Amino acid sequence: MPPMPPMPRTARVIPPLALALALLAPAGFSPPAAAGVKLITLPGRERVEIQLDHPGVTLVEEERIVPLAAGVNDVVFAWANANIDKDSIQLRCLTDPTQIRVLSVSYPPGENALTWQVSSPAAGSARVRISYIIGQLSKTFAYRAVAANDERTLTLWQYIELHNQASESFGVTGMWPGFGERLERPIGGNETKRLLASKFDEVPVVKRYTADLSSHGYLDAAKRQLRIPMHYILQNDDAGGLGAFPLMPGKARIFQDDGRGTVAFLGEDWASYTPRQKELALSLGVAKDIVVTRTIERRDQRRVKGQLFDYDVVVKYEIENFKDSAVELDLAESMTALRREIRGDTGRAVEWTFGTGGTLRNPDADRSTADRPLFHVALPARGADQKAVKTTVRLHVVIKNEW
Amino acid sequence: MKERLMTSLMRSIRASLRSTLTAIAAATLLAPASVAVAQNVDLSTIPERASVQLTIYNSADITLVRETRRITFRPGLNPLQFSWANTLIDPTSVDLRFRTHGDQLDTLDTTFPHDRPQVLSWNVQSELDGDALVEISYFTSGIGWVADYTCIASTDERTMGFEGFVRITNNSGENYENASVRLVVGEINLVERVADLARRGVISQTEADEYRRGGRKIGRFRDDARMELNQEMQRAMARPSAGAAAPKEIIKEGLSEYFIYTIEGTETIPHSWSKRMRLFQGQRTPFDIKYRFRPQEYGAELVRLYILRNDEASKLGTTPLPDGTVRLFRDNGRDGLSFLTATPTKYVPIGQEIELNLGPDPRVVHERVTLRTWRGSFWFKDNTGRRYFDADGNEQIRHDYPVAGWDDHVRVAERIRNDRDQPIDVEFRFPLYGHVLFQCAAPATLHDFQTPQFSTQIAPGVEDQTVYEITYKQGISQKQQNVTIVDE
Repeated sequence: MPPMPPMPRTARVIPPLALALALLAPAGFSPPAAAGVKLITLPGRERVEIQLDHPGVTLVEEERIVPLAAGVNDVVFAWANANIDKDSIQLRCLTDPTQIRVLSVSYPPGENALTWQVSSPAAGSARVRISYIIGQLSKTFAYRAVAANDERTLTLWQYIELHNQASESFGVTGMWPGFGERLERPIGGNETKRLLASKFDEVPVVKRYTADLSSHGYLDAAKRQLRIPMHYILQNDDAGGLGAFPLMPGKARIFQDDGRGTVAFLGEDWASYTPRQKELALSLGVAKDIVVTRTIERRDQRRVKGQLFDYDVVVKYEIENFKDSAVELDLAESMTALRREIRGDTGRAVEWTFGTGGTLRNPDADRSTADRPLFHVALPARGADQKAVKTTVRLHVVIKNEW
Repeated sequence: MKERLMTSLMRSIRASLRSTLTAIAAATLLAPASVAVAQNVDLSTIPERASVQLTIYNSADITLVRETRRITFRPGLNPLQFSWANTLIDPTSVDLRFRTHGDQLDTLDTTFPHDRPQVLSWNVQSELDGDALVEISYFTSGIGWVADYTCIASTDERTMGFEGFVRITNNSGENYENASVRLVVGEINLVERVADLARRGVISQTEADEYRRGGRKIGRFRDDARMELNQEMQRAMARPSAGAAAPKEIIKEGLSEYFIYTIEGTETIPHSWSKRMRLFQGQRTPFDIKYRFRPQEYGAELVRLYILRNDEASKLGTTPLPDGTVRLFRDNGRDGLSFLTATPTKYVPIGQEIELNLGPDPRVVHERVTLRTWRGSFWFKDNTGRRYFDADGNEQIRHDYPVAGWDDHVRVAERIRNDRDQPIDVEFRFPLYGHVLFQCAAPATLHDFQTPQFSTQIAPGVEDQTVYEITYKQGISQKQQNVTIVDE
């Protein structure tokens, strides 16, 4: 074994997260925790990457250059005030990995530390990569959208917020959220950093008004007036100006260009996870200028045979649009909820067909389900006399084979 | 002076090595054994361990310890004392054998003094005037081992590096230095826990009953294990130590219903320390990717699985894989790793398939959509409940006749969008309860009497669906509790 260069004798001091190299006699095994004073070096980080692509787990990879003696070296990795999954820690040697090898790992009792026994054929420096799963270092996503004054397009910013609740500073760190570009910023201890991950311009947006008693309830139950929420709809596809990757869940704040060089806050909503080719719906509030009154106009019970009955039901919707522009209303009806309303629940699936009457007979095939047909109703703008046109539509269904 | 020296020596050794063997060499050597045990020890020697071997089981908290010590005997009666303060040794398991000069040495009796816990003494009748190698074996609890695995899939997800590790943890209260270590995989049978025996003492009610019945002293496993492992142990102890700069080889061998890993050379595992060593390494192990919707196995979500096999073709197959946690990463192609999952795996025999469940894939969207529900084939019953009427028959059905039987029909679509750049294979398997007819657009088979299964392949960037229809026979129409596949 060649003679080692003189090294300073130093007490074993463990910074929040440190790699200590203790050079011991080859093939010797000595529990590092047992030694109060040791000859060690503390190789600094050369590179840090934080992998944020897993939904719930943060993986840190750091590279350090470790001086090794010929023979067996004890490399101590210790941490304090950092929530590291001890079982996840790996050391991989990037320099000559076939010759420099990890022989074993020892775990001292009661310490946040471990010791790798690393064998090296010759003295020299080796670049190693240490990977571990860390808690207290998490991410969230946030969105900011500014709609154009005509609400036909918007600009969407997607941010990633890194919450480092450990007291560990990582310095300049590369981060990859699993999509888009790699980010590189300094990450300090106990800090939250908000980074722009992506920006999308001219994203087409559609305003959607929905009347659906079972989902959104009444605005005025006594008058049978339905609550009509308004959503901004964004398509996560190429035509929608997005579509490069799934949109992660997070809070979205929506503003609108007020036409005077400033913006007005319209509302905020939690954006749900949105795969590619699917739509993102952001609720902005209730549209009180669209008044929908829903009543059950007919409920006829007809005997099929014995104690088996059909129910002939007509639901009437009287709709007024007090806006100064024409809009389209989505109108949906849950058959399970309707049956509960007219005869009570049975626990069986609802069998139903359209009746011969009614004006709502062509549901949207893509957005309807077996239990919830959805229709589109065009509503004209209010008139020049400021009076709204009352549009009346009827849904005629037969709820079949009930007992 | 010598007495004080020996006492001091004993204290210092006991402080680091809590199980001790004391050869009592007082002037009372020829006195009856009970005298030697009852008196304070005035003059003794403490033979050091010549070797120690640990055989550690992972299915139960039990470790077989075999240690050898060299003792000088004199002709006549030689009292020996063995003590194990603050350890978890089962006193009923302590056994003394003579590895040399067995024809000149004989254990007359073993005494457990009532007033001194964690001590026993042997009276050895000797015709020998000289050294002999003795072997003391016993069971202890508090030493265990677990396996874990680290897998790194390639960027293209076709092969992976598969490394197995074992981690030994010593919480037995005893420091085992330079011990040869063997790890046993398998499910052993124990009638009492060693930790309980260590706490309880020498004679339990169970043992007393066994004695009265003429049964074996304790546990059918123990004597068998000693005999079966003896040959292996002799061989392992004779193996040379490993070179310093190479990872220790772990030799894997089958033994009866168990598999045994022998770690090359010796290890020192102090009390309350753990040590982790590589068990094997598979390079470029091929695997398949499957998507499965099997609520009974994986929960109510479509999950992504890596499927590989523990065989030579997969660069594995040198050993069964003991229970353990698999940590799965993927080379993300950006000079780093992506964490995929940490999942427990059960014991995998050589040749068996290994499933690594990655959970739902955000790039593959699965929706189960009910397209239509309806009912038919009604039957009614009269007020006596003894006559039934077919709704489609010619008999008069009175207004007060209730429904007695019918068919529930539901048409369902399994819609999948594949946003990956490779085609994916998707397998569906789910139970249907009751008397069920199952008709599917894809070829379907029965996994068991109530579980249909079918599969489909989805091209990249495509949303596709598989439609099936389920008919549940209800009321008096229900004649079976099974599923019948109906051709389209």
